[in-house]
Amino acid sequence: MNVRRHLLEAATLLLVAVVVALVSNGLASRERKLKLPGDYPNATTVTKAAPAGDSSAPEQAVKAESSPATAQQGSASSASKVNREPTPAPAKPRGAAAASAESAPSRKSPVSFSPASPAFDPVAAFPPHPDKPYVEISGEDAARLHAAGVPFLDARRTSAFEEGHVAGARPVSVWESDVDEKVLALIGEQDGKKPLVLYCSGGDCEDSHLLAQKLWGAGFNNNLVYRDGFPDWVRRGGAVRTGTNP
Amino acid sequence: MTSLRRGLRSEWLTTRVQIALGLLFIGAALPKLADPPSFAHMIYNYRLLPGGLVNLPALVLPWFELLCGVALVLGIWNRTAAALLGLLLVLFVAALGVNLARGNAIECGCFDVRDAGKSVTERLHDMRMTVLRDVGLLALVAQILYATQYHEPPSTEHGV
Repeated sequence: MNVRRHLLEAATLLLVAVVVALVSNGLASRERKLKLPGDYPNATTVTKAAPAGDSSAPEQAVKAESSPATAQQGSASSASKVNREPTPAPAKPRGAAAASAESAPSRKSPVSFSPASPAFDPVAAFPPHPDKPYVEISGEDAARLHAAGVPFLDARRTSAFEEGHVAGARPVSVWESDVDEKVLALIGEQDGKKPLVLYCSGGDCEDSHLLAQKLWGAGFNNNLVYRDGFPDWVRRGGAVRTGTNP
Repeated sequence: MTSLRRGLRSEWLTTRVQIALGLLFIGAALPKLADPPSFAHMIYNYRLLPGGLVNLPALVLPWFELLCGVALVLGIWNRTAAALLGLLLVLFVAALGVNLARGNAIECGCFDVRDAGKSVTERLHDMRMTVLRDVGLLALVAQILYATQYHEPPSTEHGV
């Protein structure tokens, strides 16, 4: 059977694959590179989508090997030096518009994108929530926060960002190797208690939630995940930019 | 029965099966090689590996598929390459089966690493079809292993 010869051939193929993979990753561009080891929270937690066939339907956690916050402990990136107490997540939406959106989630009312009224204080409307990694918000809340000048972070791939993004948003893809550098840069620029709006592609996209976990681990206590994401923003007629610049 | 066995062992058939299977895996590897982060995302969606271990297979697996595919097409180490691809197919079927059992509707990431934006029902249907396809591919692997055992050079391990 020549078992020894076959094992040697198999080991050679595997070894060559590993070496070539590591070399090609080392030479890859920033957007194609992966860091080793990976850093993704809740990687073994399954969310079960609604059986109605609607990929954008709300999801229900059916198994939690570790709670999101517990998993986040391990996922706290190299950017993170903050210890956190494990808590259940995600949190419920807050704010008046969020509450209304929760009661009628399918409603896509037109939203005014005029500057927010002077009375609107983002920090007062969305206070920090150090006990949980993120709070989900509706499109109406996202529009108000955008008008108030709250920073937006785009958690999708850079290529998707360049094709179109919320005006003023910055690309911070959790799947690209420079995510920790971007989070570190953010630490120097942004007060961890002020709101940050994170979005991806809506539906069952979890990139913004993953980014929120990472930011929470780095000390950002006011991460607001725009639940319906960029497709909803476009539907609502929000300001969109293309290219690499915010 | 004898003619069926002879047919399954025929070099004509085995060569064509090897080339078809090899080209299939080369075709499967290329999109993953072009965009490793998207493939890592696909692996993450399977929810089988801890977060720290997601990126390594995302980098290595496409190269492994490519090397085994090229080996089959060129007829180099074809028995080993077929066995390894068979092992991969068994792993793929198991991974899809686990996720079907727990209702985790995912895109398989077999030939395309982009999110196709399919509904949950469509994804579950695709997963079942993919399991069937992989079982069919396992039959091709079995044919190669069956046929090539008769072309094996004699072992020299014991000085025979």
